Amino acid sequence: MIFLKFDRRIFHYFDWMLLAFVLSICAIGVLNIYSTGFSSSEGQIPLYLKQIQWIALGLTFMIIIFFIDYRVIIQYAYTIYGISIVLLVLVFIFGYASHGSQRWLGGGFFAFQPSEVMKIVIIITLARYFDDHKSSESYKLKELLWPLLIVAVPFVLILKQPDLGTALMLMIIFISIVFFVGVNRRSLIIALTSALILIPIGWSFLKDYQRERLITFLDPENDPLGAGYHIIQSMIAIGSGEIFGKGFLSGSQTQLKFLPEQQTDFVFSVFAEEWGFIGGLILIILFMVIILWGLKIALQARDLLGTITAFGVTAFISWEVFINIGMVLGILPVVGIPLPFFSYGGSAMLSLMAAIGLLMNVSARRFILQR
Amino acid sequence: MEKKYDQFKEQEPTEFKPKVKMAALLFLIAVSVLVMRLGYLQIIKGTEFKKKSENNSIRFRQIRPLRGLIMDRNGVVLVDNRPSFDVLYVPTKNKGNELSVEKLKELYKSKSLEFSYDQSILKDTKLYLPIKLDKNVNMEKVALVETNALNLPGIYIDVSPIRLYLDGEMLAPVIGYIGEISKEDIEKSNDKYTYGEVLGKYGLEKYFDDYIRGRSGAELVEVNVHGKEIRNLGMNKPVSGYNMVLTIDADLQKAAWQALEGKAGSAVVLDTRDGSVLAMVSSPSFDPNLFNNGISNDQWNELQNNPFAPLSNKAISGQYPPGSTYKLIVAAAALEEGVITPDTKVLCKGSFTLGNRPYRCWNKHGHGYVDLHRAIVESCDVYFYTVGKMLGVDKIAKYAKLFGLGEVAGIDLPGEKSGLVPTKEWKLKRRKSAWQPGETISISIGQGFNLITPLQLANAFCAFANGGILWRPYLVKYIESADGKVYKKFLPEKKGELKLSPKTIEILNGALWGVVNEPGGTGHAASIPGIDVSGKTGTSQVLGLPADEKARRRKVLGAFQKDHALFACFAPSRNPEIAVAVVLENAGGGGAVAAPVARRILSAYFEGKKKDKYQRAMAQSPQMNKFNN
Repeated sequence: MIFLKFDRRIFHYFDWMLLAFVLSICAIGVLNIYSTGFSSSEGQIPLYLKQIQWIALGLTFMIIIFFIDYRVIIQYAYTIYGISIVLLVLVFIFGYASHGSQRWLGGGFFAFQPSEVMKIVIIITLARYFDDHKSSESYKLKELLWPLLIVAVPFVLILKQPDLGTALMLMIIFISIVFFVGVNRRSLIIALTSALILIPIGWSFLKDYQRERLITFLDPENDPLGAGYHIIQSMIAIGSGEIFGKGFLSGSQTQLKFLPEQQTDFVFSVFAEEWGFIGGLILIILFMVIILWGLKIALQARDLLGTITAFGVTAFISWEVFINIGMVLGILPVVGIPLPFFSYGGSAMLSLMAAIGLLMNVSARRFILQR
Repeated sequence: MEKKYDQFKEQEPTEFKPKVKMAALLFLIAVSVLVMRLGYLQIIKGTEFKKKSENNSIRFRQIRPLRGLIMDRNGVVLVDNRPSFDVLYVPTKNKGNELSVEKLKELYKSKSLEFSYDQSILKDTKLYLPIKLDKNVNMEKVALVETNALNLPGIYIDVSPIRLYLDGEMLAPVIGYIGEISKEDIEKSNDKYTYGEVLGKYGLEKYFDDYIRGRSGAELVEVNVHGKEIRNLGMNKPVSGYNMVLTIDADLQKAAWQALEGKAGSAVVLDTRDGSVLAMVSSPSFDPNLFNNGISNDQWNELQNNPFAPLSNKAISGQYPPGSTYKLIVAAAALEEGVITPDTKVLCKGSFTLGNRPYRCWNKHGHGYVDLHRAIVESCDVYFYTVGKMLGVDKIAKYAKLFGLGEVAGIDLPGEKSGLVPTKEWKLKRRKSAWQPGETISISIGQGFNLITPLQLANAFCAFANGGILWRPYLVKYIESADGKVYKKFLPEKKGELKLSPKTIEILNGALWGVVNEPGGTGHAASIPGIDVSGKTGTSQVLGLPADEKARRRKVLGAFQKDHALFACFAPSRNPEIAVAVVLENAGGGGAVAAPVARRILSAYFEGKKKDKYQRAMAQSPQMNKFNN
């Protein structure tokens, strides 16, 4: 049993640097959430304290995942996938809604979003699939039908919630991994053509507010009061931070609540307003380091499974960073994707910490695994 | 499915090196795009954005929608909207603004106007968030602020629609009131509501809030440092709420209100043909206009602590023992179950004994031998003690439930109470003790655990009057859009059927007619010349009295310990049109106090009908048309 083969060397190879980078982003994030809640005077537990709880819980989760060999975890990938799908279906039946879409399961402190967890589950499931079906050549379209189905099921379930951001994220993760394992050129052309045909059909399935957001992105003048207002206010917040920022707790856009969704989707705007270009740059560099670190781990992994897992996790984090920051800077549409480790959110924090646990797992075992 | 990973067969994957490098490169390009954009916004455009954020020049301003009008069944407007002028102050970083409030205060003083804002709100200001300095001001103040606008940077007049309740107290407990949304409501509402939104908080205003609220609009405006609007950048128009047309008849409502004025209690008038509510009074009442601009704490506490509970609608939330009005139900049960015939006679000697305990009749001298008809007409208690004992509590409860008691009538108002119909099972479950035979005796004259609401009382008599249909009473006839198109129509809804035999109905009809019209009838005070009224009186004890005659007379009752007076009736006796229930709290005997009130309501109804007929005839006659032209 591989479970019991506990190796002391695992401590030696623990990736302290990665942990340090992740925790520093988390810490800045908590300060930032503190600032958003500074001028509100509700009697509840402040969000920054809750976020600290989530980070602590996430770290525990991360360490547990670190200790179980990733090959064992991925051995159960299909089971985990099945459970996650069941949870997503349960969201439909028992879940409750917030902000007009039904994403949540459970209640109180234990409320969580299975859709966030799905992002990680999809990575290990695809890793398992491509490891099972190794190919010396690039994959043909026919061979990609199963992995496509693996993604399509949660994609549709999440789109129906409706949570466009998370659903798109699953698709992007899928596409990234498929490109990574290699795809046949002819198949690619066929896929692109059919996508072009499918887009108008997909459009008809979108909710009004989702269409509105996409239209607004293409033409912000179209709706200066709705979604366009968010982008305008976000850009004013960021721009007015200038080089050095307005200082901690002093962002007028933030404190006066001109910024929407301050603790979740627009956290970066808050940070950039109060800490300026310097602060924003440092944060982006921190993310960049983590991502390059992750790619290095993917490269050095001892087996295909480790490589795909590490790459999938890294791709997932980097896309979220890019899409979220691009969105608040007004160069990408507002689709509701949080900034990793930085936005407030329990389910997201747990799945990100799990993702980091997987990365460290692959990283540490490259020295231990015997040929 | 599970796969073994015991050995490593494959080689260290090196073929991915170019792909990982490619990914890294792509990512670095993406990051540099982000950094360049960040630099563009913060360094190149920074000063511009900073100015924008400092002036906070773009303001998102809500525009209140017009709340739907409320009209009576004939289109008489009961609730309207009117403009309200508020004096607002926007704190900015501009030093001059801070002085504005002081300047305004002096201006007010020079004209000896009252300036009543709460000093403490200025301590807790947030930049650019407007504060209401003075609410609902008169034209003199509006003119004062407008003419001195240049000297008062940061202060301006804001116009918004507020509610105008034209009839004040008359219908207030039914129509309810409005108020600004609370913080908790916003958090619970899933983005449905925003700050400052006005919601129905009670009565019809609350129950139909989703229809009559309308939708807030918004505008995006550019303002200068003083908070003055310079440019309108766009606007979503507010959508007016739907209008509501009630089943209430304003004239009848007014008559009923006047009949109850100065008393604590309620009256309900139902149309027996469809269950629509023609009038519903709860007294004392309150002025709903007080809530329009946020009620002051003092006023609120005064209303809350008033022992006569003016804020509650007693017609649906007051629960009383039904007293002798319940005898209709016990009699129906006894006839239907066959425990008595109309000719069954009982000797009333003034009291009835069960075990060692005597149960008194209201007439201590006794009624002698009485049959069912006389027992109802004279409201003989001993007769019903005897019948009740024969029936048992659960049989009585079965019929009470058929008459719609013990559960909400289902009216379109929030906060309706269900009353209580006791059964053996109920007592065992709720009171954890077995049913006592003596309790059945009390139940059979509507005392003891029995509780009804005035609405249920009216509805029970309404069902009996129309031959057995128990309607769901309703207050709203239809909802129409602001331009007068019917949006949703509410139709009469049958809740149940009494299913009494024609024989039973005939006997009871005769008895209820006798209550009002025969010599010795307890409800004589409700009789109207020319119209046949049928009804039943009720007097329900609030406090158990000593059995001993002398002790009873000596006992002095407090104001809230006196009996409740009840009267329920319908008219005309043949082909009834309306059912009326009157319940007066701590007022005394039903026949003496409640029946005259019912009579005033009944005669107002029939006079109104006569007037309508006359007007219709006049409108149709060719001579009148000529005259009008």
